Amino acid sequence: MLLPPGLPSTKNIRKRAKPVSVHRTVPFHLPSELNADRPPERRGLARDRVRLLVLDRNTGKVTHTRFDQITEFLDPGDLLVFNSSRTLPATLAGRLGHSRSAVEVRLTELLPDGTWLALLLLQPAILRGKDVLTKGLRLDFGRELSCEVLEQDQRIPRLWKLRFSKSGTEFLDSVYRIGQPVRYRYLSAPWRLSYYQNVYALQPGAAEMPSAGRAFTWRLLLQLRHRGVETAAITLHAGLSSYLDNDLDRQHLASEEEYWISEEAVAKIRRAKDSGRRIVAIGTTVVRALESIAAESGGEVRACHQYTQLRVTADYRLQIVSGLLTGLHEPEASHLDLLAAFVAPGMIYTAYNEAIEQRYLWHEFGDLNLIL
Amino acid sequence: MKLLSDRFALITGASQGLGRALALAYASEDVRGLALVARGKEPLQKLKSKIDKIAPATNVVIIQADLGSITDIERVVAITLEACGGRLDILVNNASTLGPVPMSYLLDYPADDFQQVLNVNLISPFLLIQNLLAAMIDHGGSIINVTSDAGRVGYPGWGAYGISKFGLEGLSQTWAAELAETPVRVNWVDPGNMNTAMHRGAEPNEDPTAWADPAAVTDIFVFLASAASQSVRGQRLEAQSNWRNAITKG
Repeated sequence: MLLPPGLPSTKNIRKRAKPVSVHRTVPFHLPSELNADRPPERRGLARDRVRLLVLDRNTGKVTHTRFDQITEFLDPGDLLVFNSSRTLPATLAGRLGHSRSAVEVRLTELLPDGTWLALLLLQPAILRGKDVLTKGLRLDFGRELSCEVLEQDQRIPRLWKLRFSKSGTEFLDSVYRIGQPVRYRYLSAPWRLSYYQNVYALQPGAAEMPSAGRAFTWRLLLQLRHRGVETAAITLHAGLSSYLDNDLDRQHLASEEEYWISEEAVAKIRRAKDSGRRIVAIGTTVVRALESIAAESGGEVRACHQYTQLRVTADYRLQIVSGLLTGLHEPEASHLDLLAAFVAPGMIYTAYNEAIEQRYLWHEFGDLNLIL
Repeated sequence: MKLLSDRFALITGASQGLGRALALAYASEDVRGLALVARGKEPLQKLKSKIDKIAPATNVVIIQADLGSITDIERVVAITLEACGGRLDILVNNASTLGPVPMSYLLDYPADDFQQVLNVNLISPFLLIQNLLAAMIDHGGSIINVTSDAGRVGYPGWGAYGISKFGLEGLSQTWAAELAETPVRVNWVDPGNMNTAMHRGAEPNEDPTAWADPAAVTDIFVFLASAASQSVRGQRLEAQSNWRNAITKG
């Protein structure tokens, strides 16, 4: 649980005399001009020239630099673990089978039984009572793709289970023909899917881009390898970061997320761990995958393909990961909670204050934070 | 074990001509998987049926796509990466469009057609390489771009096609240089005159029987896709010449 150590004086920070609980506390007010509304390449920057705030886990020292200088903070032997999940065009525009009313579907996760967990958004007119989402509805998407609405998710009631009329390659083909990336309101334009991919992305399945790695360029990756910094990749198909429901979003419930860890990645991680080298997660999804398997396997990683709902919080004892590269995301308690597993809350608070004062940009196209 | 039995290949322009011949040649070398891309779905389906018979162990995925479209390319990439499990060994950028037939002089070339030819023949290989690199860079891979004599000599009347191939030659050289320190190899091959629908369209007054059957020029493409060519990189080779002698070992 993370609460601000004292009320800050800066005007960018909303004062709250009595925070009710961690989930109701918004320690930072994020000025809207700090939303990264476009990819760096579209604001005149190279992909890897976003800003980087380096936070020392032990001392709390903050260093402001540029992402392409990250090599200066990494040592030969450090192991960077990437999430190679590729972003899906997960937003599908559909129609209710019976009334033809518009409905937006945001794919969240493919479940083991072949159904999809998805966020369903009805048009406001419908919410006023014309239509109600219920089990058994049919949704049509064109391109011969349709789905049946199965049950509502118990834990995250904005999500529903859907069974589509296609699966495998055929399903993927249709989704890529009709889908759009999940986009949020702060964007200045409907950026196309390719802006939502990391250069190293492989198999498609993420509802949203695992964006911590977005600033890596091939040039930088090759440079790191040249320096002896090791890399490994796991796959975790990230779900949605928002259910477009304030109460749910404050709880920051992660849907079940599918992940894979290969033998090859396991070997690299074990070697790094055994020789006391740093293991740096490129994104919180990597933290979730590695810590999930470690929690199940007595602190060891092993090759696996399974699902996780793990939420890393301040009191979580990290077993594998020693460093984290992450974006600057919604200044809600939950994201800071995860960071608090790495550093003392006060240090995060100071660092985030500085990030706002220094006009760092937030969200998937924004600046980055390295915690080592 | 045959030459390609542990490998997965993506071939563009696979429904006819050289692309189709390459798909069959790779299948006969027991390639692990094939992602076959073309504009027409039916010929792809027929080709898949044929390969299913001659090489039942080969996993064939067909992708109907227009490589002139960036969104189609993203779809091709995603389906390929899913099908190959994130590990691609061979990428053959074979798809080409001639542009409007009969070919007109640049003097008269419609701008939209010029753009479309560059999109298919030049931008799509660039994007496919860029987007599929992650699936090749750790384990190594072979990228083969199909070029043409028209990419070295500016023949009158070959319009945007020739210019796109000039571009492809430069693209290939630059990729090869940038990837020189990686296990990904880039080579480009001029298949020479072949009896294909495209070539017949380009030179309707010539006798196509004087040109090679595409099935007769596949050897070099099998070689470049296989481990036998491990040290061959950054080279322009001609399929209908004595290419084995032309190879300089890297």
